[in-house]
Amino acid sequence: MSRKSERLVNLTIALLATKRYLTKDEIFRSIEGYEGSIESKERMFERDKDDLRSIGIEIEVGGLDPLFNDEAGYRIKPENYKLDLGVISGTDIALLSLAAQAWNGAALGTAANSALVKLKSMGIDSDLDSIPTLAPRMAWSSQELETVLEAIAKGRKIVFVYISSELNNETREVFPYAVATREGHWYFSGLDCSKNEVRTFRFDRVNGEVSLTGKENSFQVPHGFDLLEVLETDAEHGLAVLDIRKNKALMLRKNASLVADLGEWERFKIEYTDSNSFIDSILWHLDDVVVLEPTELRLAIIQTLRDLVVSHG
Amino acid sequence: MVKARPAPLQHTERLLSLVPFISANQGISLKDLAATFNVSESQMSADLTTLWMCGLPGYTALELMDLSFESGFVSIRNAQTLENPRTLNFDEIVALLMGLDLLKESLDADSNLHEKIEVLTSRLSQKSGIVSRLRATSDVSSSLRAQIESALRSQSSLDISYHSLYNDSVSERLVSPLEVRIENGTEYLVAFCHNAGAFRIFRLDRILKCVVKEKAHIPKQESNSNNGQSLEFTIRVNSRLRLMKERFAIPHISTSDEYQSLSFSQQWIIRSVFGSSGSVQLIEPANLRAQIAQKAQLILDRYLAN
Repeated sequence: MSRKSERLVNLTIALLATKRYLTKDEIFRSIEGYEGSIESKERMFERDKDDLRSIGIEIEVGGLDPLFNDEAGYRIKPENYKLDLGVISGTDIALLSLAAQAWNGAALGTAANSALVKLKSMGIDSDLDSIPTLAPRMAWSSQELETVLEAIAKGRKIVFVYISSELNNETREVFPYAVATREGHWYFSGLDCSKNEVRTFRFDRVNGEVSLTGKENSFQVPHGFDLLEVLETDAEHGLAVLDIRKNKALMLRKNASLVADLGEWERFKIEYTDSNSFIDSILWHLDDVVVLEPTELRLAIIQTLRDLVVSHG
Repeated sequence: MVKARPAPLQHTERLLSLVPFISANQGISLKDLAATFNVSESQMSADLTTLWMCGLPGYTALELMDLSFESGFVSIRNAQTLENPRTLNFDEIVALLMGLDLLKESLDADSNLHEKIEVLTSRLSQKSGIVSRLRATSDVSSSLRAQIESALRSQSSLDISYHSLYNDSVSERLVSPLEVRIENGTEYLVAFCHNAGAFRIFRLDRILKCVVKEKAHIPKQESNSNNGQSLEFTIRVNSRLRLMKERFAIPHISTSDEYQSLSFSQQWIIRSVFGSSGSVQLIEPANLRAQIAQKAQLILDRYLAN
């Protein structure tokens, strides 16, 4: 294994250092490790080119001089090989390093770590002043994230089994647009092919694997598509008026605005998106919250309470 | 894509990354180098020996890279061709983009770093070829993180205001932090709580305020002196199966079956049944069942009275 990697490193160095295109003949004569018959050298070189491409190193073919009927030559252009982030400061390096550290152990941890090594190889000191040095962290690890990202980058369709809200397994085919994480959950959204609508899915509700299917570039991701924005604007919106006992129900108060002080109680206005989960969080707070408006929310809560009395009596 | 590459290619990538890294960090110890690349020290020695044989065609002392690592500290010369780090690959760019978004969300709104992050994000986005936005949010502010970080580093204590969801109350506590830990997608601070006289864990997103204090002495004590006995309970699930499965952590679930589970708090059981709006019914224990019926009647009466 070390012979092969040694040859690949030597090939990379030679093709990077050369100012002109090297012919196969020159490569076989000067680079260590090409042995055997001309056919086996050719095969070796073809495989090496593919291998280098698979780790992101592009070998350019060129140098064909029509006057001399030359054979093709090869080189790696330094500007394609080198990391170039433009003008970059110590603060930028610190920010990027923190961004990479966010993945510690999570889904893209390996990629983040190799990015971090590259950043540390730039010879620019990280400037940590005025930056909080405890990075926020991603908290999840999955192969599925990588598959979905690959599908987005290559414009391929994905197929997976999704668990519906009543726990049925449903097969979905989706052109994925974006991924996002919020409050510990990971999401992806895209065009659901059978429904012909943009839908959002939670990674942990996928049953089994996500697989790639169909050709590359089979759809276009809408420019600037933002999953979290879509999540927020898609949801139903309602405005409720609640009485909350003083110093209670902090979870609800976070997004509420105070309307009146009633002594033992305070009156709030609060915007809610999903009425089911809103009712859940109101009832979680037991007798510390009373809904005044809207009427349908009030009626739903009264009905739920009646059911609870009956089912637990 | 980093779908586990064949070993020789992983090895090649590591060798190519080693050269610029050592060039920028001359004299680094073999141990640190091995840790940076996540390999054993003997593997790292083998890597360096391989690199030592690499260079420009000719492969005489003039063309080979000049590595020294026998003293346990590594330096490299004559490596100009490879000394620039390689361009970022797709996965690395995605990792950085999402990491930057997470960082941005956790910064205070008036931080002057937002603009810098925007610039980096747009540069990296162009390279990635992904035109949608890759988002990551955090509900923990950076000033809170900075305080915790500072306390961890200087081994000081923290005055925190903590919101307990089960009791729905805020308490002021003096804690000595040990570490920040992630479990099931949530970040926790593990700390010795001086008010409770025991080790406790606190969800970062429920710490409302914190102030760094002088180091407080942690008394020697027997661990596991916690009095949290767990309480067995049985529920039946009627609807919203997926949500209930997630909320009560039931591995296999169907309607009309009964499930047993454990909790350390009566409050949690009662609130969770209410907060499931009828999707679950508590079967046992009977005393909690009665409390639920009673409480529901009390709240109902209040609704019907006005």
